[in-house]
Amino acid sequence: MMSSDAVEENEEESSILVWMTGLAFLAAIIAIFIYVPTERTEGVVQRIMYFHIPSAWLSFFAFFVVFICSILFLWKKEREWDIYAHASAEIGVIFCSLVLITGPIWARPIWGAWWVWDARLTSTLILWIIYVAYLMLRAQSEAGSMRARYAAVLGIVGFLDIPLIHFSVLWWRAFHPQPKVISSEGIGKGMEIGMLATLGISLCAFTLLYFLLMGVRVRQEKLKDEIDRLKRETLYSS
Amino acid sequence: MDYLGFLFAANAFVWGGIIYYVFTLKQRNRALEKDLELLKETLSREG
Repeated sequence: MMSSDAVEENEEESSILVWMTGLAFLAAIIAIFIYVPTERTEGVVQRIMYFHIPSAWLSFFAFFVVFICSILFLWKKEREWDIYAHASAEIGVIFCSLVLITGPIWARPIWGAWWVWDARLTSTLILWIIYVAYLMLRAQSEAGSMRARYAAVLGIVGFLDIPLIHFSVLWWRAFHPQPKVISSEGIGKGMEIGMLATLGISLCAFTLLYFLLMGVRVRQEKLKDEIDRLKRETLYSS
Repeated sequence: MDYLGFLFAANAFVWGGIIYYVFTLKQRNRALEKDLELLKETLSREG
């Protein structure tokens, strides 16, 4: 079990992170609704971008963490990496769901359709299905190293869809706009400076939120492990 | 073009999603704390 000093230090760190995340979101909301100019062709609905892209970034980052931690788990066989992968996959699925919800809401007034079977939209939906399957596999099968191993393999395979999502708009004809933040012209060259700054603040806020949620989820999983261990010990001793 | 309703809906889903997830995390925390308390009680009863 963690010592009381370590617990106090942990609580202090997470309260700092809570404040930083809160302030970053406050700055993002002010920038999105007050500071940033309204886009000329799409109008006010374009402001959805400042939630849509950071949600996509957060989910891709979360799945990248799943990918790395799954490799480390298969290599080192340490439960710690499995905990990180599980926690990150859950957060990734939440934010990937938000991408799949905010995307159609943005698309409806611009494209005239909620959904098109475009390469980027379809590959993002596939990514979401893979990681929902990952969470279902973890929830349905019995705890143990086999479950963790199967989940790790799925976590690695699922991540291979992300480069496909990124390059899909460049490789195939797509409805989805081409990348503007990281484009062939350079980083941020395809956007007006105010829009880029607002997107940057929003990306920062979502990234901080990811670390905050990860901290909570990892602590929960570790506590659950500790409780299970104590329960087993009590059962055997009685 | 003015589609304030769409902007509002997208915002509502994002904030709703985040708040709902934080709420489920709080519930899980409470369940774990309850489990731990029960375990401590059992252990102290058994000495």
